[in-house]
Amino acid sequence: MKRVIHYLRAINAENMKEWRIELKYKPDFFRQFFAPFVYLLPYFLYGVALLGGRFSEHLQSITGVADMIAYTFIGYLIMGFLNTACWAMGWSLRKEQWYGTLDTVFAAPVPRWVYVAGMAFHSTLHQGLIMVFQAVIISVFFAIAFKTTGIGVVLVIVALMVVGLYGLGVLIAGLTIGLKQWWVISEALNTLMVVVTPIAYPLAVLPVFIRKISLVLPTTYGVMGVRHLLLGEQIGYDLTTILFRLAVILIVWVTIGMGVFMMMDRYGRKKGFVSLY
Amino acid sequence: MLQTRGIELKNLVKVFKKKKKDEVRAVDGVSFRIAEGELFGLLGPNGAGKTTLIKCLSTLLIPDDGTAIVGGCDVNADPLGVRRKLGVLTGGERSLYWKLTPVENLNYFAALYGVPRSETKERIHYLLELMDLFDKKHERVERLSSGMKQKLSIARTLVHDPPILLIDEPTLGLDPYFARFIRTFIKTELHEQLKKTILLTTHYMDEADELCERIAFMYNGKIKALDTPHLLKKRMPQEQVLEVKCVGDIDDQAFSSMHEYGTLNLSKQDGFTYVRMSTENPEDLLSGVVEIVRDRARVLSVSVTSPTLEDVFVHLTGASLKDDTTQQ
Repeated sequence: MKRVIHYLRAINAENMKEWRIELKYKPDFFRQFFAPFVYLLPYFLYGVALLGGRFSEHLQSITGVADMIAYTFIGYLIMGFLNTACWAMGWSLRKEQWYGTLDTVFAAPVPRWVYVAGMAFHSTLHQGLIMVFQAVIISVFFAIAFKTTGIGVVLVIVALMVVGLYGLGVLIAGLTIGLKQWWVISEALNTLMVVVTPIAYPLAVLPVFIRKISLVLPTTYGVMGVRHLLLGEQIGYDLTTILFRLAVILIVWVTIGMGVFMMMDRYGRKKGFVSLY
Repeated sequence: MLQTRGIELKNLVKVFKKKKKDEVRAVDGVSFRIAEGELFGLLGPNGAGKTTLIKCLSTLLIPDDGTAIVGGCDVNADPLGVRRKLGVLTGGERSLYWKLTPVENLNYFAALYGVPRSETKERIHYLLELMDLFDKKHERVERLSSGMKQKLSIARTLVHDPPILLIDEPTLGLDPYFARFIRTFIKTELHEQLKKTILLTTHYMDEADELCERIAFMYNGKIKALDTPHLLKKRMPQEQVLEVKCVGDIDDQAFSSMHEYGTLNLSKQDGFTYVRMSTENPEDLLSGVVEIVRDRARVLSVSVTSPTLEDVFVHLTGASLKDDTTQQ
């Protein structure tokens, strides 16, 4: 029990440290709240130009949702969590190396995954804060009316998806130990998952073989579940199935991620990669 | 063997493979034992394998062969147990978060190193007082001088009050004032007062001579000699050293005619070249050595001294601690 408390405290210390460092760069910190909003606008306007407005009969016929902006925005929020897993967690060890603190952190009497978990915790809070902020701004700006009755289930779905994505994040963090140009993998995985996940389109528009890949990603169930609950999208799965599959994916992804991380940690210490980093 | 509360190494090996058949034996069959409460020095030039050894002991690297026991825990079998007992000072001032203050840094590391929450505040207060940094506790680390950063790094190393300390090149790059402070602190506070077991690596012979009870010479991954500073110096066959301090470039080829008379050590420090010839009769060599130096450089001073640890190191390994110049 004492050990568990130590690890939890270490995870929180990591989170607090990151907040403190981020808040030392105030302009960049506040930029993060508005920049994604600005990135999103051109896509909304592009959609409006194509459709002649924000509502689409075709989108409604295949998803049950006519509002293109609301539909895309949910996907965009989910994409934020994916980016967090790929970049913030994957980036964590490399960033420590740049600070010069990696050896000191790795010499601490906690398993090394605790450090990455601390980064994940911080990233989730960070991304969650940005997500809520953007959701409020976008909802008001575009007058989007989200359903609020299923908000509790939405939070459960997002939580399961995020923890599933931790598996991916910790896997990438592990790979960075052995690979200098880790961002190539991170970028590739991130891009592939954005395409394969039905971020801005329904699952039905993906080719059948890609759809099969899509169904092992937590983001697919995350985006479908959240859109179903907040916008009433017709997704072809009931909520129990979504929650069950997310739970299974979470277990599989976290197990694989932790396995790869621990293997790479040992490999890195054997080969001296951490020292050479 | 697991009973030892100090450090014990047996045939420790760490090999780095560069290409298929090209390998570097950074630590090559190293064995020694450091008693509880001992201040032990590992002296060797850059690239001797000192830092690799420290990294093996602190579980940052996995040894390829041999055993290492730290505070009764095996580095391979119980790395977490080892890390609980260790304070590692490596990486100097870069081992801190520069955007954070000393208090924020120490709070973070206290949590990471498992200091109970109820004791953290008092511990940090004690360490900042101890290192004379209390007035700077809310300054960002980036605004502190190099010496203060190193003092804070030491405080960080002590935050969980570990019984064993691995200290890697503690005064590297520091000005004489801070270097003196840190040496005194290691000797009087950490060793004499707090009774820590300390493994200190350095390539400064004066530092090792002044601080350490026993010293191991490390070169090319191997331990070349291990003894007290006094007994190491007794290993010199010659009891006197002729030293010429000069300005200019000299190589050992210039002294080829003198090799039979003693051990030559050429080194550079702070822009000066030092020619040191260990010999039984310095007077006999004086004119010959000065003449050779004069042909190539400007002589600043000539003196006869006792052998230093550096002379012993050169005698035993044929290499200098200070730079890459060759010896005979």
